[in-house]
Amino acid sequence: MKQKASYQRYLNRFGWFCVLPSVALFGVFMLYPILSSLYYVTRRWKGMSNTFIGLGNFIRMGQDKVFLSALGNNFLFMVVQIPLMVFLALVLAVILNQGIRRFKGAFRLAIFLPAVTSLVVVSVLFRVLLQENGMLNNVLLKAHLIAEPIGWLNDAAWAKVTIILAMTWRWTGYNMVFFLVGLQSIDPQIYEAAEVDGASKARQFFTITIPLLVPVILFSVVTSTSGTMQLFDEPNILTWQGGPANATMTAALYIYRQAFFVNADFGYATAMSYVVVLISGIFAFAQMRLLGDRGNK
Amino acid sequence: MSMVRSWTLGRVVSLVVLLAATAFSVFPFVWMLVGATLNPNEVLRGALRPGAEFASNWVKATRMYNLPLFFWNSLKIAVVTVLLGLLVNGFAAYGFEKYPSKARDRVFNVLLLTLIIPQIALVIPMFRMFAFMRLLDSHMAIILPAIMSVFIIFFMRQNFKMFPSEIIEAARADGASELTIFVRIVTPSMQATYVSSAIYIFINQWNSYLWPLITILSDAKKTMPIAISSMMSAYTIEYGALMVIVCISVLPVLILFLALQRQFVAGLLGSVK
Repeated sequence: MKQKASYQRYLNRFGWFCVLPSVALFGVFMLYPILSSLYYVTRRWKGMSNTFIGLGNFIRMGQDKVFLSALGNNFLFMVVQIPLMVFLALVLAVILNQGIRRFKGAFRLAIFLPAVTSLVVVSVLFRVLLQENGMLNNVLLKAHLIAEPIGWLNDAAWAKVTIILAMTWRWTGYNMVFFLVGLQSIDPQIYEAAEVDGASKARQFFTITIPLLVPVILFSVVTSTSGTMQLFDEPNILTWQGGPANATMTAALYIYRQAFFVNADFGYATAMSYVVVLISGIFAFAQMRLLGDRGNK
Repeated sequence: MSMVRSWTLGRVVSLVVLLAATAFSVFPFVWMLVGATLNPNEVLRGALRPGAEFASNWVKATRMYNLPLFFWNSLKIAVVTVLLGLLVNGFAAYGFEKYPSKARDRVFNVLLLTLIIPQIALVIPMFRMFAFMRLLDSHMAIILPAIMSVFIIFFMRQNFKMFPSEIIEAARADGASELTIFVRIVTPSMQATYVSSAIYIFINQWNSYLWPLITILSDAKKTMPIAISSMMSAYTIEYGALMVIVCISVLPVLILFLALQRQFVAGLLGSVK
């Protein structure tokens, strides 16, 4: 009996030995930064020195039009780009799963391909393609689809479209592969039974396919939402520092610029990052609740 | 069924949609390759036919911009992070999964909780910390915080669940030590998990932008994404050389993808089952 207890202690010690390096790294590069941010958030930087201002940073934030419009841009990209991408990915996945017989693998590979590029590369490619006198405008002009060049990067509204276009190019194939995995895990017998009952293909799609895919769709919405809340590379490079005139400024880019570019106010930047964490947390929690409820049914 | 009947309207529409999506997806890649052979003006205007400038673009990319150094920096950082990451996270995932204890479960839940924290919220205190440690503008600054990954621990733990505990018990009965069991018996049979994790860590590190952008200051320390982004902010942009560097920066991930498609997708998608 005594021997067994000491053997359990040995196993427990080995368990700690396994997780210790990770937990130590977690403490230094995750926990400590989080805790130390509690200090920064109450301070205001002026040059090299800083002073305590309590909740002053949060009050300042409420009056900061650029920050509020940056958050607005994050929401705009979220509500436009995510549904668009999920719809396209779903359509492509369903076609690949049932609509064709040949070259399935080749189509899947080609449409997934953008997922191998970094966001920096995506931004550079689209920035070059969408110049005022660049490739896309030239093609559209020659095809007489437009009368004069579109300001993909210089016009406030079109610049937002550009960001959405680049994000959709990068992520649609990635999400399509998710949905394909989900589709393939649906038992074909369910469809056979529906066929016997005389349900049409369209009816089968809406009453079988979509409901069974809901967990996968929700998962992709959750990850896309958190990605869109952190949108940084594209507005920094593709539309150049959130331009034109902050039209594509995002929260993450504005925080970065406040902390490291414009006036090195770490306190204010930290306070804004708290708001981003809070919003991301609320979204993740709400969506996980939805996901969890569905999973239990 | 005859050939004609199999070409229903639905089938034609499906094919058209797929072809359009393929063209949209592949075109920037083709154009990127073509762009590497063009002069800066042609890149901007978007010529579609390959030009004759590849050699001079290559020379510019390697002489003016030191492409080989940036490539080496990125490769070194990514490979070291992968090796240390597999070691550290592999052990952690195994420890959390196969040595269950209430205390460790609580620690694991704390780790999971931090998954929702966006990177932008961490980089400010991290920057202050690295400035204090005098590690800014070093490759250590990029490697160290990337070794431990809560997501990878989670992903590997899900996979370790599938390793039968009976085998571990049998090895114990044979007198094998816990370390031997993990290193000699468990790890070799989890190869697919390790490969997927390695791909995930490699790509994340190869493509990482925000943190290196903040920490790397000197030209000699730049990684590929930082080199590309600083080329874009130059007064005159050498577009031909830029396209060469962009092509080279996509290459390793593309090769990984084509060589290890299944593990690559598993690595990207994580443990969604």
